[in-house]
Amino acid sequence: MSKPDFEQFLNDSLNQPKQDIGPDKNLWPGIERAIAHPTEQQAEQSRFTWNKLAAVAACCVAALLSVQLFVAQTEPNTMIAMSDYFTKQKQGLLVQYQNQPALTDNWQQQLKELEEAESAIKQALENEPENPALLQMLSQVYQQQLDLINKVHAPKWQTI
Amino acid sequence: MLIDAEQAFAQQSEHTLIERVKSGDQVAYAALYELHVKRVYSLCLRLIADKEHAEDATQEVFVQLWHKIANFDGRSQFTTWLHSVTSNIAISYIRKHKNWLQKVVSFEQSGMDEQSAADCQGLNGLDKLVLRLPERARMVFVLHAIEGYRHEEIASMLDMAVGSSKSQFHRARQLLKEWYENE
Repeated sequence: MSKPDFEQFLNDSLNQPKQDIGPDKNLWPGIERAIAHPTEQQAEQSRFTWNKLAAVAACCVAALLSVQLFVAQTEPNTMIAMSDYFTKQKQGLLVQYQNQPALTDNWQQQLKELEEAESAIKQALENEPENPALLQMLSQVYQQQLDLINKVHAPKWQTI
Repeated sequence: MLIDAEQAFAQQSEHTLIERVKSGDQVAYAALYELHVKRVYSLCLRLIADKEHAEDATQEVFVQLWHKIANFDGRSQFTTWLHSVTSNIAISYIRKHKNWLQKVVSFEQSGMDEQSAADCQGLNGLDKLVLRLPERARMVFVLHAIEGYRHEEIASMLDMAVGSSKSQFHRARQLLKEWYENE
């Protein structure tokens, strides 16, 4: 027997009553604890926040150490080459558009966020300078910055 | 006729349970949980496509539901309201659990692998294919085709343009068709 075509299969499946399945484990004890002792949960939340802050602080220390190691390292790598090329492109665009009004007010905030992402990826690259996934992300963040600068300075007719 | 009577009885007893829960009755809440846990978990699983995360999200739904149930005014069916609450909590769960790289670089989570999806006993053939869809296409397909939301509503829920919602839906259909025909 041949199977029905896709449209038929889709219609039949969507028109049937939904088949629901249960979770593998019993979730009720956790729910019961959470609703019976909300303050305990808040305390746990606060512990979690402190743990998170401690983790962020640890990451900052690691990043500082990485920067120090990077300063000591003189050999140029792919990240530096990419950064040099991008910085020139970005500066060129900013000079080109300096007298042109932007279409949005918060583009500099958006650019700042992308620059923060750029810094974070660069920090990760300090430990793995030739990691292809990190390099790809860095290149994407650079491209997003260029696109943003271009987009907010594009003439209005281009945005229609 | 018998089915109508059974439905009316079930709705009546659900209404009683909800009223008891609103007054803080945890025993009634356990009964309400038993009535709806499969529905909530299945929706979380369809949206999140990961069993463990779907379990976590289900717990979150029931914890938040305990605090929100006073807002249920009975004007819509309880299950309709529950689906809406669950969808919103599952979406915010997915957002919360994205790491910063995924947020910055807009990486899209892939769906469940073919074998794990096939191992989800009890789900129908379409659901097993849906679990394999990439994140955005899956969420849009589940919300539109299965849950019945309009693209305008989905766009607002998922913080995307209406056109993106439509194109993700089209993408989902194409992928489902391809997988179905190659099965």
